[in-house]
Amino acid sequence: MKDHLVITRRDFLRGAAGALAGAAFGSGFPSTSGAQEKTRVVLIRNADVVSAAGAVRADVVQSMLDEAVKALLGASGSADAWGKLFKKSDVVGVKSNSWNRMPTPKELENAIRRRLLDVGIDEKNISIDDRGVLSNPVFAKSTALVNARPLRTHHWSGVGTCLKNYIMFVPDPWAYHDEGCSPLGKIWSLPMVKGKTRLNMLSALTPQFWGRGAHFFDRRYVWQYKGLIVGTDPVSVDAVGAELLKKKRIAFFGEDRALDVAPIHIVAADKTYHLGVSDLSRIELIKLGWQDDVLL
Amino acid sequence: MYLNVSFKPAFTLIAGLSLMLFFSWGDTFAAEKDTMNAKLSLPSETKGWTWDGKDETFNNQTIFKYIDGAGELYLAYGFRGLTVRRFEGPGKPLLVAEIYEMGSSEDAYGVFTFERQEEEADVGQGSEFGGGLLRFWKGVYFVSVYGEGEGAEMDSAVLELGKRIAESIKVPGSKPALLGFLPDKTFGLDTANMYFFRSHVLLNQRFFVAHQNILQLGRDVEAVLGPYDREGKRMHLVLVRYPSNKRAQDAFQTFVRAYMPEAAASGSVKTEDGKWTRIRAYGEFLAIVFGALTEAEAEKLLAVTGTNLKGKTR
Repeated sequence: MKDHLVITRRDFLRGAAGALAGAAFGSGFPSTSGAQEKTRVVLIRNADVVSAAGAVRADVVQSMLDEAVKALLGASGSADAWGKLFKKSDVVGVKSNSWNRMPTPKELENAIRRRLLDVGIDEKNISIDDRGVLSNPVFAKSTALVNARPLRTHHWSGVGTCLKNYIMFVPDPWAYHDEGCSPLGKIWSLPMVKGKTRLNMLSALTPQFWGRGAHFFDRRYVWQYKGLIVGTDPVSVDAVGAELLKKKRIAFFGEDRALDVAPIHIVAADKTYHLGVSDLSRIELIKLGWQDDVLL
Repeated sequence: MYLNVSFKPAFTLIAGLSLMLFFSWGDTFAAEKDTMNAKLSLPSETKGWTWDGKDETFNNQTIFKYIDGAGELYLAYGFRGLTVRRFEGPGKPLLVAEIYEMGSSEDAYGVFTFERQEEEADVGQGSEFGGGLLRFWKGVYFVSVYGEGEGAEMDSAVLELGKRIAESIKVPGSKPALLGFLPDKTFGLDTANMYFFRSHVLLNQRFFVAHQNILQLGRDVEAVLGPYDREGKRMHLVLVRYPSNKRAQDAFQTFVRAYMPEAAASGSVKTEDGKWTRIRAYGEFLAIVFGALTEAEAEKLLAVTGTNLKGKTR
């Protein structure tokens, strides 16, 4: 008898596991809203947000973020939208990403901070951090989190997106890299994190759609997409981000060139850890702003 | 749902593996810390760029801070230490050299080839250059050099700096001997895509076999993956060397039990895609062919491997 719980190549060949991995994100976005419950993700783009030389315009980022959050929550204005997510008494950790080759843009961090202050949250109760979150006193006593990082491919998880961004909430990140980082969803149940994340956003201003190796940045595979992807459901945001990178690979290479690993952790976050929706047909994607070469 | 049942044991496995790597090399590194620069006389300038005078060093406990949580790739190849040297020039983008000391020259070769995709750049014992990044290996060192800008001047400086670092590495190394036991190009071997590894996680990234470590790979085990093109179809040969015949036999058993339980006696099975998988042990070696169009073709590759191993087994 075959050992229990061992998943081999043959399981994929016979289709049981392969169907799940292969059809990871379903068959595409719905063309119209259906009766089935959907999550909402907002993609907003602006042709002027990044200059040809790569400079990011802070005022445009602020405007994009405001419009995205407003649309996400169906609010009448930005203040109303942020007021639905946070209250004055909140202690908010903004989980950023400091990878030196492609960090969360400072302009986006500042835009988030601005709106948290506008809600009335005391400045001392707001902190933006990445690798120091475990020792950061604001994160330790946080009542709310914002998750903001750039969209890119990643050696261990296929894509570096919102789910992956919380890996710094554990002291042993290497323990979460097996099976395409599928255990990442477990991190979201830790007390420091569980139930606190109010907003998830991917900076797709200049995403990286392909790459190789553990930490390599390759400018040949970075493009100025000039977008933000925003949602309350991290799985849906990540599924949209992964789909965007896939569409770009197909446009660039003429095929979906294989990543080091398939981003199956996004499906795992849905099916195993029940953190959100990974099936694109159950995600309502609201597209705002500049639509040239939108890909989605 | 397969995801539910597979995570727990695999998670435990990788966590265990990682912790084993993490702690077993700690003492070694402590003794060898700060010796890299003593061994190498790294250049202090190149083509208008000058060393900023500060080397950053990382060990097996701190590498995760430098490589954004992706240090396992290096740990899986016996990582001992990393020196990062930066070069500045007036009005010029930064030039960064990363010099990784690996467990052996085979490991340096392994980490280099694991991610290779560009054209050879004639630096060190094997290299590539593309997108402003130079990667090469020589001796026990794997080196990457990149510029934070672009253009001909930067590319030239990257290549020149790489050559000078390579010159500072006085002792060349050997490629894994296992590569020489694979049936050669006349059998369709794709030499540009051969890989040397010790970790099943890395094997799976290049050719998925099983989430669990059914071949019992580890730091004291050497393995190579050889892709073969026959009649427009691709098959793969995995050749593994264990520290002992017993370890090889144990791995034979765990592999057969998990992967081809119906073929324990014959060592050969027609898999769900209509192709053949065949396994054979040769002393402390295991050879497995995946994806052969016929059983005879799988046997042919194994037979040639056996011939290549004659006189090499214990």
